[in-house]
Amino acid sequence: MALRTALAHRNLLYLLSLKELRTRYKKSILGWTWSLLNPLTQMLIFSIIFLYVFTQTPPTGDPSHLKNFPLFFLCGLLPFNFFSISVGVSMGNVQGGSGLIKKVQFPHEHLVFSVVIAQFVTMLIEFVVLIVALLIGGNMVLPWIPVLLVILLLLALFTTGVALALSAANVFFHDVNYLWGIVAQLLFYATPIIYNAANPKIPRALRLVAAHGPTGSFVTAVRHVMYDLTMPSLRDFAVLIVYAVTAFMFGNFVFSRLSPRFAEEM
Amino acid sequence: MGDVVLEVDNVTKTFRIHRERANSLKQRIAAKGRNRFDEFVALQDVSFDVEEGEVFGVIGHNGSGKSTLLKCMAGILQPNQGSVRVHRKMSALLELGAGFHPELSGRENVFLNAAILGMNRRDIATRFDEIVEFSGLERFIDQPVKTYSSGMYVRLAFSVAINVDPRLLIVDEVLAVGDVTFQKRCLEKFVEFRNDGRTIVLVTHDLASVRNMCDRAIWLKQGLVSGEGDPKTLVEAYTDSMLGSAPHDETGSTRRGSGELIITEVEMFVGDSTSPVTRFQTGDTVRFRMYYNGHKAVPRPIFSLIIDALGGATVSSPCSRDVGLIPDSVSGDGWIDIVVRDISLLPGAYDVHTAVHDFNRQHEYDHLQVATRFDVTTGRPYESSGVVTLRPEWQFSDDL
Repeated sequence: MALRTALAHRNLLYLLSLKELRTRYKKSILGWTWSLLNPLTQMLIFSIIFLYVFTQTPPTGDPSHLKNFPLFFLCGLLPFNFFSISVGVSMGNVQGGSGLIKKVQFPHEHLVFSVVIAQFVTMLIEFVVLIVALLIGGNMVLPWIPVLLVILLLLALFTTGVALALSAANVFFHDVNYLWGIVAQLLFYATPIIYNAANPKIPRALRLVAAHGPTGSFVTAVRHVMYDLTMPSLRDFAVLIVYAVTAFMFGNFVFSRLSPRFAEEM
Repeated sequence: MGDVVLEVDNVTKTFRIHRERANSLKQRIAAKGRNRFDEFVALQDVSFDVEEGEVFGVIGHNGSGKSTLLKCMAGILQPNQGSVRVHRKMSALLELGAGFHPELSGRENVFLNAAILGMNRRDIATRFDEIVEFSGLERFIDQPVKTYSSGMYVRLAFSVAINVDPRLLIVDEVLAVGDVTFQKRCLEKFVEFRNDGRTIVLVTHDLASVRNMCDRAIWLKQGLVSGEGDPKTLVEAYTDSMLGSAPHDETGSTRRGSGELIITEVEMFVGDSTSPVTRFQTGDTVRFRMYYNGHKAVPRPIFSLIIDALGGATVSSPCSRDVGLIPDSVSGDGWIDIVVRDISLLPGAYDVHTAVHDFNRQHEYDHLQVATRFDVTTGRPYESSGVVTLRPEWQFSDDL
């Protein structure tokens, strides 16, 4: 349903996504550089804490033998940020679209799709920078780019599903938005971004969530491809596909159920 | 009889009015899952069909359910019961420029807004020049719309909306946008629409446009269809009921102002007669007499008489200041006559309002809405429609 309307109104989707990208950094001198500065700052902070405060040795890529915490960190942070920012911005975009929803009939899911697409483009730009850094660091990632893209597309599908469900719920209860702020923070630590899910020193419960939870699965897959230079197993891919398809179908179901009532509820 | 293009079938729409709005989970749980609300019926069993090529009017008070009906027709709200079926490409103009983004240029907004209204990219591209030309904003099209004046903004939005090329257009009070030239262009576009055999649904409380433009109309009253049919009859019934239900004092009119100097009554006389009338003919000499009462001396007051045609358009508004009649001070009782020779009003019903202001028109001593009403009947000259006659002289070429 959602996919069909998205195709029928692909022009609107294209223009809404373009609007998201164009208006984000209007009136700022650094413009798009800002989207890179944010992950770089996080990288700096966590690198200092990891390497100098807790004096840990960075995980070694297998079989790449890469041993570089900032790069290890960014491989996990970029996909996670895409997910958490997309969901948060989608909720705001649906809420902020009330003027439109109350006045014009149009497919409401485009308010979510356009955010995810714009964030996806942002993430791709960030990945280009990361890939250059990885190449300098000695990781020959270029042949792995197609696999990376497949993983990222599955992640986008998963993100869209979560964003659809939460954005729709948020119209009825604004708590969802605030709750998401907390959940996203918890998820950041429950996802293997600053650590390796395979590290035996981590408590078992956390390791389970980190390795097999949805965000953890995606992050681990990206890191396999970019940092370790190894192919995720077929089982890993199957898990990603299940997460992506289930989330998308669920989100789509919730959203199409609730969206006819948006105009009244806003 | 054309094809039916819009079917509204037993539409009922209710809203929940929350006594305590529970927008958070905690509140909802505290209310034990039940949200305290009252049901408000905005539309009840509304049914009508609109046929191809018709101009169809929907009239009603504020709060009669007009906007809800409009939103149901536009597909924005879903009716609780009944259905709305649209059989042609529809465009609903509820608000102009909904979805305009201030930081984007006019050009980008045209594309975005047209896409929101359902156009594909190729259609927008081919119509782009036409849209911009219609708006008259060629020079500003690459500026961000936040730099536009409100008039420019509305003009661009209207140009997009009207160029979506619908077969069925649903319009909500948006006829009067922009300056006079632009309004004229809009009206021409509507006429062009109608002549093309397209269908227009007009939801409005501008009775004049319903009477002049519509082929058929319905009257909504508290969510129910109170009447359907010929717009002229319907507008008359509507106006009567509206005046009847307005807050009146004992003389059937409403008053505001500070009250130091008031108009107590207005009477009309024909010719030199001394018996007041409320009915006269086109061409009569009419004396409007305003009786005033001042319980305090008011310096330099300004008196005005306002004559409105049915539907609210002011026909004439003579004012004592405009003719230089400025008394130093007025108090006590007295009257003022305004004599209109050979009155140009055409047959119809008219309302008379009066106003008393201070010299600068800053302060209102008194405003009497509907001080009196009068009817004009057929006299000389006669014209079958219109509000006033301009006393035209006709000349035909000799061979006619």
